[in-house]
Amino acid sequence: MNSSLLVWIILAPLIGAILNGAFYFYHIKRNKVSELTFSLIGTITPLISFLITLYLFLQMYDSGVIFKQHLFTWLNIDKLNIDMALLGDNLSIFMSMFVTFVGWLIHIYAIGYMKGDEGFGKFFAYFNLFLASMLILVLADNPIILFIGWEGVGVCSYLLIKFYYGNKDNVLAANKAFIANRVGDFGFILGIIVLFFAMGGVNLSFESIESNLVGVEQSLLILGGFLLFVGAMGKSAQIPLYVWLPDAMAGPTPISALIHAATMVTAGVYMVARFHFLYIEIETIGLFIAYIGAFSALFAAIIATRQTDIKKILAYSTMSQLGYMFIAVGLGFYSTGLFHVFTHAFFKAMLFMGAGGIIIALHHEQNIFKIAQHRASLPIIGTTFLIGVIAISGIPPFSGFFSKDAILAAAFQEGQYLIYAIAMFTAFLTAFYMFRMYFILFVAPNKHTKEYVYTSKTITIPLVILAIGAIFAGFLNLPSVFGGEHLVDTWLGQLNSKTIHLSHSTEYVLIFASVFIALAGIIVAYNKYSNFDVYKPELEKGFIGNKFFIDELYDLLFVQTTKGISVFIDRVIDAKIIDAFIMGSSNTFVNIGKFVAKIQNANVRFYAATMLVGMTCIFVYIYSKLGL
Amino acid sequence: MISLSSYAFVSMILFSIGVIGVIARRNIFVIYMSIEMMLNGVNLFLATFARYHFNMDPQVVTVIVISIAAAEAAIFLSAIILLYRSKKSLDTDIFTSLSQGEKS
Amino acid sequence: MIDIVFIGLSFLAISGAIAMIVYANPMYSALGVLISMLSVAGMFALLNATFLFMVQIIVYAGAIMTLILFILMFLNIKEEDLPKEPKKFQLIAIGAVVMIPLNVLILEAVSKLPAKDLSVIDSDFGDIKPLGKVLYNDWILAFELISILLLVALIGSVVLAKKRKSRLKDEIDPQTVPTSSQTNKGEQL
Repeated sequence: MNSSLLVWIILAPLIGAILNGAFYFYHIKRNKVSELTFSLIGTITPLISFLITLYLFLQMYDSGVIFKQHLFTWLNIDKLNIDMALLGDNLSIFMSMFVTFVGWLIHIYAIGYMKGDEGFGKFFAYFNLFLASMLILVLADNPIILFIGWEGVGVCSYLLIKFYYGNKDNVLAANKAFIANRVGDFGFILGIIVLFFAMGGVNLSFESIESNLVGVEQSLLILGGFLLFVGAMGKSAQIPLYVWLPDAMAGPTPISALIHAATMVTAGVYMVARFHFLYIEIETIGLFIAYIGAFSALFAAIIATRQTDIKKILAYSTMSQLGYMFIAVGLGFYSTGLFHVFTHAFFKAMLFMGAGGIIIALHHEQNIFKIAQHRASLPIIGTTFLIGVIAISGIPPFSGFFSKDAILAAAFQEGQYLIYAIAMFTAFLTAFYMFRMYFILFVAPNKHTKEYVYTSKTITIPLVILAIGAIFAGFLNLPSVFGGEHLVDTWLGQLNSKTIHLSHSTEYVLIFASVFIALAGIIVAYNKYSNFDVYKPELEKGFIGNKFFIDELYDLLFVQTTKGISVFIDRVIDAKIIDAFIMGSSNTFVNIGKFVAKIQNANVRFYAATMLVGMTCIFVYIYSKLGL
Repeated sequence: MISLSSYAFVSMILFSIGVIGVIARRNIFVIYMSIEMMLNGVNLFLATFARYHFNMDPQVVTVIVISIAAAEAAIFLSAIILLYRSKKSLDTDIFTSLSQGEKS
Repeated sequence: MIDIVFIGLSFLAISGAIAMIVYANPMYSALGVLISMLSVAGMFALLNATFLFMVQIIVYAGAIMTLILFILMFLNIKEEDLPKEPKKFQLIAIGAVVMIPLNVLILEAVSKLPAKDLSVIDSDFGDIKPLGKVLYNDWILAFELISILLLVALIGSVVLAKKRKSRLKDEIDPQTVPTSSQTNKGEQL
């Protein structure tokens, strides 16, 4: 009975999406459907998913049972056996818990944010579809079903980024997101294929892969693991496939909050954790993942110090935090990384929602300096924003501190001092740019008197709920140095992740060092920006301000090259060689015909002469034959 | 003694000159007169055979040929007048509207 | 004696023919043809074909050539209306070369014919009466057909050469004759 509930976690938002879509069609073709209908359908379905997940979680907490549901056999060809099956073990339920909870809150937030938009119903249809795809990804029993969800979230991300499709730039940003994801997906598929062949063709579910992994030669495992990580690079916006994430901020803020902060971008981390049995065997790839994560974190943090669009700063900070998560899972600390996913979902979603509230209150203004110039009084948003900024900077006792500190300790423990140094410097930069944003938005003096702008309850209440989570979620994984019980780590014990077992004194030193770094960042930002003259905004210039010109570089390397090749093929090969060959051969025949037709030139003398020559030949022949 | 071969020789010369005239000249009058020359040569040949084989039939044929040549003359010259009226030229090389290639 | 006459007549005939194909002016060509026809008439006389001799002079030299001369003068041809024939002599030479095999063939064939006795002939060989007898007895069908042919030619020449006033399209102005570029368009694939 309980296992059969698993499919309803996915079906509820899926049915919501279909219903909303059908109603939206009716809305635009026949009669108007009220926004209330769309909102109700759109928010009840994630709630249903969350309640089912909560129910299953409580069952698992009590009795430690794992839920599996086999829906139907999708493909059964020779050795390839793909079942449509769902797996609800500790990891899946853990991910599904916060995905549905945060998703539900953001759906409520979206009611207020998208109010009055004419695509209201369409938005909620896509949003529910996204949630359904993410849940498919999380609850999948084998990598193929995971890939279905993987692609599904990519498609929904595309659909939602280009939601305001009247502006062509938004559509281009959506294309960029989809294409960059596609490159990653290509690697992912190749990885699955490598695994399939490496194991000699077995049932492809996670359990069977796990049990059949022994005896496969190391080079194939390394190849498979690397290719799977390429998919994660695309989906989770790490170097080199990160370029879509800042542009994806063109979509409405609720999707930035849900998709590009809390859920879709963490799919890569989830995938690496899911394949933990593979990555444990190939430590070199794990180290590679950790380095990519570290460099992505540093890179994004550097760029974020110079950005002026509020959502882009948050996008780069997401990329940076994802780098941290990859450091953790790369080094084998799967539960630590996933714990950072968990806490990051809370405070990043909250930061995005707060930013959305500011944007709406100031009539869609996104430049932080212009916001500062017209600052309004937004008490709840301001407070929650502050909480979020403190959490992400890693100041105790907010949640961000516990998860980030655990990652730093993990790096230190493994002896990866370079990664540790990079991560510490990035922590400094994180504190710096987040507080720069906060100070400019809320503290730096401007010449207005602040007028109070009302923000609707659908915006403020989810913010408050998430703020509570951001503050207190850290206590779920309190390390033993503080006398805690590692609840999340024990919950995710199936992953056989490494644990931190430094001596307490080392840990205290590390904690002190990280807090000190964060406070240093805050102080530098305070000195620079708390009295900043917001009427002379910083511009996005220079090497850092132009995001290291990576977009231009990619454009030159890939887009222009491909365009050049296709233009070349079209103009030269197709038009001049192939067409010339085909048309040329037909033209040759026509010309031969025309040439031969010139004999018929209606000149009587010519005809007579021809006849005469013919007859002469005959006469000569007769003469020689007669032998006269 | 004039043998048959001598007459044959003369008539063949006349005939050949007629053929050459049809092919080599472009003036339509000259072409017509070359055709008449060919007929003349053939008439001479026929008359020679009539004399040397003691038969009247070739002479009858010759008379018939001459009358046909007269009828042909009438038609041919009317056609020349028509062509001259339409093309204003006596050049046979420009009467090529039936051709597949260049047309006039 | 007869031989000299024959040689003279044949010389005249051949030179008249050569004059015909060599001269550019059609009037000169017509005179050449005239001479040639008269010489051939003389040769008919040598061959005892007296009726043919007369018919040749009356019809050929008298009617047909006169008609040609009339038409030449009727059309009022000037020097520049005549077609330019730059390669005349070359073509004549080539034509002569091409005609050689035929001549050789026929002359050889003729020379192989069995010789006949030429001595005894009827005194009225070639006269009108025997010719008429053969014509109306053996060749009556050809005779009738010839009369129809002459009738057709008579009517035809009148019809062809009539000036047509009402139908302007029959008189095509050379300027509006479609050029090759225009008419070829319909034939392109």
